[in-house]
Parts: sequence; C-alpha cells; structure tokens
Amino acid sequence: MLKNKEHKRNPRRTLHRMWQDRTLYLLLAPTLIYFCIFRVWPMINMRLAVYNYKAKGDWTFAGLKYFKMIFKSPAFADILKNTLIISFMKYVLLFPLFVVFAIMLNELRHNKFRKYVQVVSYLPHFLSWVVIAGIWMSFLAPSNGALNEILAWFGAGPVDLMTSKGAIRWVLFFSEGWRSLGWDSIIFYTAIIGISPDLYEAALMDGANRWDIIKHIIFPALIIPMTTVFILNLGFFMSAGFDQVFNFTNPAVNSVIDILDTYIYRVGIENAQYSIATAVSLIKGVVGVILVYLTHITSKKLTGEGVW
Amino acid sequence: MKKKKFSILQIVLMAFMMLLTLTMIIPLLHILARSLSDPALSPSMSGLSIIPKGFTLINYEVLFSNKNLVPSIFNSIFITLVGTIINIFLTITAAYVLTRPNLVGKKILMIFFIVMMLFDPGIVPEYMVVKALGLMNSQWSVILSMSVNVYYLIIMMRYFEAVPPSLCEAARIDGAGHLRTLFSVIAPLSKAGIATLTMFYGVLRWNEYFRAGIYISSIKKVPLQVILRKFIVDGDVTTLIGTQNLLNYNELAQLDFTALQYATIIVAIIPILMIYPLVLKYYTKGVMEGGVKE
Repeated sequence: MLKNKEHKRNPRRTLHRMWQDRTLYLLLAPTLIYFCIFRVWPMINMRLAVYNYKAKGDWTFAGLKYFKMIFKSPAFADILKNTLIISFMKYVLLFPLFVVFAIMLNELRHNKFRKYVQVVSYLPHFLSWVVIAGIWMSFLAPSNGALNEILAWFGAGPVDLMTSKGAIRWVLFFSEGWRSLGWDSIIFYTAIIGISPDLYEAALMDGANRWDIIKHIIFPALIIPMTTVFILNLGFFMSAGFDQVFNFTNPAVNSVIDILDTYIYRVGIENAQYSIATAVSLIKGVVGVILVYLTHITSKKLTGEGVW
Repeated sequence: MKKKKFSILQIVLMAFMMLLTLTMIIPLLHILARSLSDPALSPSMSGLSIIPKGFTLINYEVLFSNKNLVPSIFNSIFITLVGTIINIFLTITAAYVLTRPNLVGKKILMIFFIVMMLFDPGIVPEYMVVKALGLMNSQWSVILSMSVNVYYLIIMMRYFEAVPPSLCEAARIDGAGHLRTLFSVIAPLSKAGIATLTMFYGVLRWNEYFRAGIYISSIKKVPLQVILRKFIVDGDVTTLIGTQNLLNYNELAQLDFTALQYATIIVAIIPILMIYPLVLKYYTKGVMEGGVKE
C-alpha cells in the first residue's frame, strides 16, 4: 500500500525503475505473449456465445438465443446433473479415502515395505487416461477379466461394468481412486510426518495407544490440509474430470456420464455448433470462477489463508 | 499381550496394503504378459495371469511393421522434447521475473496469471485461434498451445523463493546481470525444482492426446496417444494395423487384437517407467525418507 502511494507520488521514479529492469520485462515477454494469444484471444472469441457463427463474413448478433436454447433443452439439465453427481463422488466422497491411506501408510512399521507401497501407489498418477482406460477395460473385461475371474471363485458373475448404467459412475470413482490414492495422499502424509516427535512421546508417557494417537494427534494435524484440498476440489466441480470420462465413455453408458465438457466437445468440435458450445463454456467458466472465489473467501475466514 | 495384538494389527495392515498394491501391479503385469503371448493361446488367458503363454514377440512385430505407429512414436518424442524445452524455458524465466522483490507491476502480473489459471475459455474459442494462426494440422498447434502451465509456474516460484535473496544481491554487486543471476545462481540452487518440473511437463507432453486429436488431422503427424486412443476407446483396429498388414499376418498366424492393444499400452508406458525413478529421486525423496521415525 505504502509502495503504491510512493509510485503515485513519483511516476518518473517508477518509470526509471522500470527502465532499469527492462531485461526483466523482456524475459517475461514470451510468456505474456503466449497467454495473450492462447488465453486472452480465446476469451475475446467467447463473444461467439451471443453471435451467429459464419465461416466467411461478419458474425451476426444473436442476443441470448443460444443461452435460451441451452436452458430450455432437457439434455442440458441431465448433463448438469451428471456433472454435479460425478464431481460430488470424486471430490467429496473420495478424498477422505486418501486421508485414511496416508494414516495407514504412516502406521506401517516396516520401512522397506512402506517404501514399496509408496513406489507402487504413486505410479498410476503418471499414466495417461488413455492408458488407464485400457488397463481398466482389461481389468473389467466380461470374459477373462481379472474382476470376473475373482467373482467366479465365489460363483458370481460374470458382470460387464463398463457398459452398465448403474455401475459406470462407480467405475469412474474407483478408477480415479486407483490413479490418485498414492499421489493425492502425499499432502496428508507430509502433514503427518511433520508432526513433532515430542507430541508422540508425551502421548506415550500418558499411556496412549495407537488409536488414541491417531485420534488426538494425527487427525487434528490433518484438518488444515483437508480443508485446503476440499476447497481446491470445489474449483473442479464444474469440470468433473473430462479426460477420464472422455476415455471411459461408450454408447451404452454415455447418458449417465455425459458431463459439461464432453457435451462441449461433442457439440462444438464434432457437430461444429460453435455458438452453443461456447455459451456452455461461458456458463461453466463463470460458475467455476464464482465457486473458487467463494471458497477463497470462506477459506480466508476459516483458516486465515486463502487459496492464493 | 498388548504387544502381540499390535503385531497382528500390523500384519492385517500389511496384508491390506499388499492387496491394494497388487491391484496396481497385476493388471499391468497381465497386460505385459498377454502382449508377449502366442496369439493362438492368449485369448483364453485369465485376467489374473501374469506369465506369458507361449512366449513370442509377434504382437510387437505387427505393431512395429505398421506404417502409422512407428512415425507416431517419433512424433510423440518430437512434441515431448520441443514442448518440454519451451515449457521449462518460459517457466524458469517467468518464475525468475515474478520472484524479483522490487518488480514494478508485480501484483497486477500475478492477478493476470491467476485469472489465466482460473478461467478456462474452453476448447472451441481456442480452436478458432489455432485455425486463425494457420496451425491446423501442424504439430506446433499442440506444442505452442500448451506453452506454460500456471500451476507449475507457481510451484517453480516457490522453489526460486527458497534461494536466499542475499546470494542474488551479492551476484548483482559483483556485476552479474539478470540472465547471469538466473542461470549461475538461482538455477543451480533450484536443481531439484527444475528437474521435478521438467519431468512433470515431460509427462504432460507425452500423455497429451486431446488437442492433438483435434488439431492434427493427418495420421502421419499424430502422437502415439492419439493412435492408442483410436485403438482402445474407439476400438478402431484397421487404423492401427492397416488392412494389408492384417491380411499378411493372418496368413502367418492368428491375431489377438486385445494383445495388440496391450502391446501398444506397453509401448506408451515405457517412457513413463524410464522417467519414474527420477521423479522418486527428486520429488518424493522427502516423503520417502521423512517417514523413518523409529
């Protein structure tokens, strides 16, 4: 604040300082140019949401025509519902499991075994969703798939979960968990290993058992990272994880996992209805920013720290 | 009594964790095993089996004799290498500038980058830009449209902020310009950070399929992940193998399309497995060793 005042009082000095630092601005220039071309320009293109697209010649103003079409269409309501349900499963139901995994990892007493668990569980995070879709299709294959082989031991099955409307959202839930269990638990595990050993010693002296320690020492240390993760997750609510759905979908189940981003892709890229797709992107973007902003404010109130 | 109960819990816990890791290992080993199996025997293989049935490399021979797959691997390597170099260069320079303490306009710049991160204009408006720039059907569309990731830029800034400012000042007093300060003071001291982000960008580049699938229409120019997706998600076998090839190989032996899919998956995973030990070394070292308490 003080600095700003100083600048206002002495614009010549500010300009002088900027001139002295010209190398810095030059170094930043390529990055700024990139964002202007590939981010700001598309944002300007978003005016397409209120225009009729023409490949040649001027676009004609369409007003809110496309927004009215979107809100009237029953398909949009379903897509919004799917997006929110899948987001809820991924970002609210799933992340406590990452916390539990971090606690369990910390409870392992055999150091080499723990390292082995870490090495294996961090790996899936680095595989592309195309590869993961391939792995899961193999795992869930109706004939000879690993899951059905196991079910057969108990005389059950075979089931084809990839084409089951009732199961596919849970397939998304578990494959997301499979991919992120290790990697996304790192933030919680870091918080656990950061706990001072004195706290453990004091608790042991008081005769606490492992369960007491988890409840009264470890869990309280996880509340702040849990809040942070939960708030950041809310920012993804309108997206629901496009890459996963895009690769796990098939005609049999598309109606229950069609989300905003898959709709934008289908309408915009496949059917070339640019205005409708852009209008949906605009709705999604604005709601997304509002969600993040609200959570930023809430977070500042709750923990004293914002998202940024 | 109490001690014994504790160790039983440990065994249960270890067994559970073992099962969990097996769900990650067995599907991968099965995919590898079936890709190495004799196509006449592999269709009846159990999904839990991790030993090849009648070891053969025929699936890989079919793949590598294909005129689309081999170029796509080179396309992926090209896009990954050039893309990652651009990523890391822009990210390092931008992070350096944004961590200078007295930069005029720093606050406005940070707000700009955060808006860039939060608001995604979506694929259609970006598609129009790529079209207007004449980059359609060029690999540069994919390379340039993903030049900087704001999230990774912020991580890089955290690493640079950890370098003591007194070292930069000392360098400046010795007459070093910004470029020298960056490349001979900050960069060497942030080696772990730069290595980590190079790997993150590299993985992002190697795994990219979405923009490539939209912007690049010529099958000769697409990266491996696009071919893999056509094969796995769209179930399009002929694109990958080619009709003529299919005929040729059907004379030699039976083909197992699933095993061919799996062989493609293995080809796509190998570079990730090669880079993975480095990720463990530079990024997760702290959490892997910090766990030793007793």
